[in-house]
Amino acid sequence: MALTKALTLEDLSNIKEASLKKSRVKETPSDPENTERDSAVREDAQHTIHICGGPGCRARGSLKIKEALERELEGTATSLREVAGPQTEAESRAQASSIGDVSITLSGCNGFCNQGPVMTVDDVFYQSLKTGDVATVVGEHLVKGQPVERLMYKNEMEKTYIPGKPDIPFFALQKPRVLARRGLIDPDEIKEYLDFDGYQALAEVVAGKSAEDIISEIKASGLRGRGGGGFPAGIKWEICAREEARQKYIICNAGPVSRSIVENDPHSIIEGMAICAIATGATKGYIFVREPDSLLLIKRIRHTIEEAGSFGLIGNGILGKGYRFDLEISIGAGTFICGEETAMLSSIEGRRGFPSPKPPYPAVRGLWKKPTIVDNAETFANVPLIILNGAEWFRSVGTSKSPGTKIFTLTGEINTSGLIEVPMDITFKSVIDGIGGGMKKKKTFKALHIGGPTGGFIPGNMIWGPTDGTPAQADRPATQPDSTETQPDGIRATYEDITCAGATMGSGNLIVMDSNACMVNTAMFSMESASGESCGKCVPCRIGMKLMYEKLRKITEGYATASDLEVLEEMAGEVKRTSLCGFGQTAPLAVLTTLKYFRAEYEAHVNNKWCPAGKCKALSTFYIDEKVCTGCTSCARKCPQKAITGERKKPHAIDQSLCIQCRTCYETCTFGSIRIGPKAKDMFTPVHQQPMANKEDE
Amino acid sequence: MEGKVLFVDDDPIVIKSCKYAMEDSGLDLTGVTSPVEALKLIGENDYDVVVTDIVMPEIDGFELIRRTKAMKPDIGIVVITGYSSQQNIRDAIEMGIIDYLAKPFTPNMLTEVMAKALTLAIRRKPVIKEKPLADELEAKMKSEDFLSVINKYRDVPGSLITVLEEAQALIGYLPPSVQKLIAKGMRIPVSEVYSVVSFYPYFTMKIRGRHNVKVCIGAACHTKGAPEIISNLKEGLKIADDTDGMITKDMRFSLETVRCLGACGFAPVVEIDHDTHGGVDPAKSMDLLKDYE
Repeated sequence: MALTKALTLEDLSNIKEASLKKSRVKETPSDPENTERDSAVREDAQHTIHICGGPGCRARGSLKIKEALERELEGTATSLREVAGPQTEAESRAQASSIGDVSITLSGCNGFCNQGPVMTVDDVFYQSLKTGDVATVVGEHLVKGQPVERLMYKNEMEKTYIPGKPDIPFFALQKPRVLARRGLIDPDEIKEYLDFDGYQALAEVVAGKSAEDIISEIKASGLRGRGGGGFPAGIKWEICAREEARQKYIICNAGPVSRSIVENDPHSIIEGMAICAIATGATKGYIFVREPDSLLLIKRIRHTIEEAGSFGLIGNGILGKGYRFDLEISIGAGTFICGEETAMLSSIEGRRGFPSPKPPYPAVRGLWKKPTIVDNAETFANVPLIILNGAEWFRSVGTSKSPGTKIFTLTGEINTSGLIEVPMDITFKSVIDGIGGGMKKKKTFKALHIGGPTGGFIPGNMIWGPTDGTPAQADRPATQPDSTETQPDGIRATYEDITCAGATMGSGNLIVMDSNACMVNTAMFSMESASGESCGKCVPCRIGMKLMYEKLRKITEGYATASDLEVLEEMAGEVKRTSLCGFGQTAPLAVLTTLKYFRAEYEAHVNNKWCPAGKCKALSTFYIDEKVCTGCTSCARKCPQKAITGERKKPHAIDQSLCIQCRTCYETCTFGSIRIGPKAKDMFTPVHQQPMANKEDE
Repeated sequence: MEGKVLFVDDDPIVIKSCKYAMEDSGLDLTGVTSPVEALKLIGENDYDVVVTDIVMPEIDGFELIRRTKAMKPDIGIVVITGYSSQQNIRDAIEMGIIDYLAKPFTPNMLTEVMAKALTLAIRRKPVIKEKPLADELEAKMKSEDFLSVINKYRDVPGSLITVLEEAQALIGYLPPSVQKLIAKGMRIPVSEVYSVVSFYPYFTMKIRGRHNVKVCIGAACHTKGAPEIISNLKEGLKIADDTDGMITKDMRFSLETVRCLGACGFAPVVEIDHDTHGGVDPAKSMDLLKDYE
């Protein structure tokens, strides 16, 4: 394929036919997401290697692995070169550098960042690679055809090694649609995207879909904005399309949340934006990157826009037809608030990132007071899939109110963290136990933090279902029309379930917290960040966050009274109710959800001056239970302050005047003899008593 | 007290006694009897305060003040005068002196006035104390690159953030003088430029070191030891947490905190220039800086 200048519809249909011929369709084509094809790999290459080039794997040295691999192959090339065919110019242009009969591609992020750097050799998935392992892989796998077991994923329970990516639990429960091409294509190479149905949806639209058809298809699919609010995309588009204006804009928020798509498959976003532009009559678009420091991201977006432009997929006369859509990158200057759509518009206009009241919604009056569609990259990336496969297909996973899939980042005290895309009807239970591989050794689940900095905390009984007799869905209103779909297995990753539980989808961050976390302390930290991130435009948010932080600090330092709890709760409700934008409306959820689900912990802090998790230093003491201590001395050896003393095989003791409450002994002891108790009266140092007395006088 | 002081008086005894009175103050004291010599010294050195007589041969005190102000507007000036007529003093105050000493004065009076003058002079000094840096800033502000950035975006709506980003990339930071120039070039009020610069954390009005160290204080990094990293770095680099920005004396490193670098999987994270270091051991955080000269 000689693709050097603007493509036409004919070219795209040729590409489609050619790639269909080339592909090895493993399952029925009627289920497109299960259709697996080899990426753009030279047919004469016997081995294909995809090294993960995502930021996680890069940070762990995947580029060095690639270099080492190339060097290693150079060394063994003499034997391999005989079988290799001559290399054409087009092939070397692709980043896939081919040495001998091996093609090496630097792919986008696999999401398995926890085990990075990762690499697939043919169908075998290798993880946690070191440069030293490269020789083994080449020697064993490539030359002898013997996959290297020790570098594969290990099933800890059954002590077996799993070679294939689809069989690894982390990947098995996921349903990649938006990220279907991840790890398989080079994101900087448009041809690889084109070979994977790329721009086919745009071709379909240009060839003769009316704007009404597109909008009704998106509406029928029930696609909701993936930015956190969950507003139905089709309705937004319809409002914008109805507005009469000389100029309309399409803006894609490529903030940190959706960078995974930009890093893996940037053309899918551009395709979705172009379709949106045709549907709404917009001719100008921006991809907004909030952080000017995201150099990799910016470079990739610039390159992608350029590529799409030179192939005639955006710009004037899309695919040789009469549509026009000019796309630019717009770089902000940081701050969390610029993720809010109206604040983002201010930032693109070159002003302070202040949000503005809604309505008027941006779809009516947005950038430069013109109708504007603001959506998240994940939303746009879903659009081509819906156009190609239909609304019915899109609705085949998820619930009726939250159809489709959602990307989450999964971290915390679980065995495997990373970036995941799951059907929205998956329960968080299977996310944690299945994809996350369960809790880490010796850790017990306490709460799930959903939604990033403005999210809420969900307790165990709602995640695991009614294990202790309390119904998991107790807080769900009886009138909820979706209640027929409720499952006894705890809440699902849907907008409605998460909102009912009192959290938000937010940025789609999932942090699994264990019993070591103090919820009061965590809420305090959330408020500290929130008061720093508040833009300061409206009073409830600017002052409310600060006051809530002060109250929480008072609680964690031990001089709060029961009335403080009441005020805190009331204030959180008021800030949520009266704040101007989504930030102020969701940031208090950290306080509201912890108060709702972990009230006993707050009460212990306030009434008993005791932090049961031992995180609030003023309210906890570490001591050794003499009945349990075996005198193994391991804690005494690890104590950085030498505060633990005792004879061998006799109970030890902690000198409270030396203890800095670093938890080292608590984590070290295998017998559970280290206990966390409230500060005993005589243990209170004068420093602690001082502020307590003072504050109560006030 | 700390600072650099120049005494100018045609009477060597005044200089000698002033020096004697201030001997234990810890100040860096210089004295000259010739105002011409004094001007040369002022040009070459970085004085905080100049104490000058009014009636002198060659050039009188007023002329000296005028020329000093033209050269170094931030130097604090104290006048010594034997003829403390109202007119003399009023003229001197109008020229922007900090205080005056009427002869004869006691060592206590001198110390008192000196303390006041030093505090004021040091406060109004720009963050950049060294002359080469000020010159560098000036040169950068006049450079073609910078002016072409402004010209390129002058009539492009919504380009202020882009201009500021490019200006910061060229100059390193955005002090008020640069903001004024941008406002003038873009034909917008200075307040508008300042409102944008002060809002976004990416922009800095303080000079950065040759290497900028960013410590992430996001939720994940916070729990994994970011506060310890910061205190270790501050201690290791001998940076005081003051309002002048956290920067080492030799301008090698500047220290900043950021809300979240988006690499929570590798917490705690430290970013030096554009290199991201993950999984930093707080106790060994100083080791990260070794390779950055």
